[in-house]
Amino acid sequence: MSVHTLIDLPELTRLLRECAGEEEGVDLDGDVLDTVFMELGYDSLALLQVVGIIQRDHGIELDEDAVAEAETPRALLDVVNSAARAERIAA
Amino acid sequence: MSAVDTRARPPHDRRPDDDTGGPERIALLLPGQGAQRPAMAHGLYGTEPAFTEAVDEVLALLGAEGDRIRADWAADTPAVPLDHVSRAQPLLFAVDYALGRTLLARGLGPAALLGHSAGETAAAVLAGVLDLDDAVRLLAERIRLLAEAPPGGMLAVAANPGQVAHRLTDQVVIGAVNSPNQLLLAGPEPDLGTVAELLRADGLTCARAKATTGFHSPSVRAACAAQIPSFRAVTLRPPRIPIVSGYTARPLTDAEATDPVFWAMQPAEPVLFGAALDRLLADGPYHLVEAGPGQSLSALARRHPGVTRGGSRVTPLLAARPRGPEDDRAALRTAVERLAPAAGSTRDRSRFEARA
Repeated sequence: MSVHTLIDLPELTRLLRECAGEEEGVDLDGDVLDTVFMELGYDSLALLQVVGIIQRDHGIELDEDAVAEAETPRALLDVVNSAARAERIAA
Repeated sequence: MSAVDTRARPPHDRRPDDDTGGPERIALLLPGQGAQRPAMAHGLYGTEPAFTEAVDEVLALLGAEGDRIRADWAADTPAVPLDHVSRAQPLLFAVDYALGRTLLARGLGPAALLGHSAGETAAAVLAGVLDLDDAVRLLAERIRLLAEAPPGGMLAVAANPGQVAHRLTDQVVIGAVNSPNQLLLAGPEPDLGTVAELLRADGLTCARAKATTGFHSPSVRAACAAQIPSFRAVTLRPPRIPIVSGYTARPLTDAEATDPVFWAMQPAEPVLFGAALDRLLADGPYHLVEAGPGQSLSALARRHPGVTRGGSRVTPLLAARPRGPEDDRAALRTAVERLAPAAGSTRDRSRFEARA
């Protein structure tokens, strides 16, 4: 994890698992960085839940449209980490 | 499966009821209100013969209104917004039904059907419970009645029923239980908006579903009850293909299938999709095929234990976010390639490959 990275893939998969709950365990162990969230079983509501937790735990604001456009873990990590960098520069 | 009269099934759908050695069985998942989007499946219209024919049959039965619906389907600025009941409902029905017909035309007949909300009406027609012309006439009447219901909506909430119970009112109710962690609340405005604010303050994740009517709530009960006489006037038959009902979470019995009140009141009753999917997959494994716009039901199915651990598979017929008509055609092509070796006979396959 570089100094400019707020969240990495293992952390994101941990959050995704937490939101899905124990009853609904999707396999996130493979190379899922570029797999579309819908194919992993995460619809827009499930993602909104994950994003809500990230915003709350890290005190950052994410652009709603950018989040909605992020179809893969890689794209979502980019949105989160670039927002975190922007906040750090502003601060 | 004993309730099914195999003699009434089309020949390509006849296969041994054998879970172990037989071919993979297809179960269609048919989405309802909320799944609609501009130009949904429009890329198949005019290029996929069975799909085109089925959509045209539905729209022709709607007369001049059918022409206006066709014009709004992929319009940049539709005369009536696509989320309105008078556009969403007929187009969802047409697309779900036509995708079912597309699979039948390729010899990929389903062994079971499960519709979400209005998707169950498309299932009823595919299973022969309702004739297409009766179903479309009843749908047109239902739309007129629902258009007079109080303005309302639906709210997706990442929660289980217990987490929202204290926020429900006599008007804002649970309209659908989609999974252990996903609900749809339904009701009139401004009540629904008030409940949404309270749930957000509780720390729950909420998102507006695409509806301008409070489906599956008391606000549409009167409109549904007014349609009971019309349902009594049509012929209802036992299903030729088993339907797992989203309203009972069990295989539809012959008595339910032929009960006019059961069908008339569906838009006012809660949808138990999660429990119905549990029931379907308890008889699995199935190859679950989403026959409708988007992949909302596929996403729910993909995280179901019957799929993650039970050997069932999921194949949507359309893209999650199509970016143009070619995406619709590519998604169908990919899906049929996944399905053809599973359910088609050698002859069916070679016929498809010869056409492709």
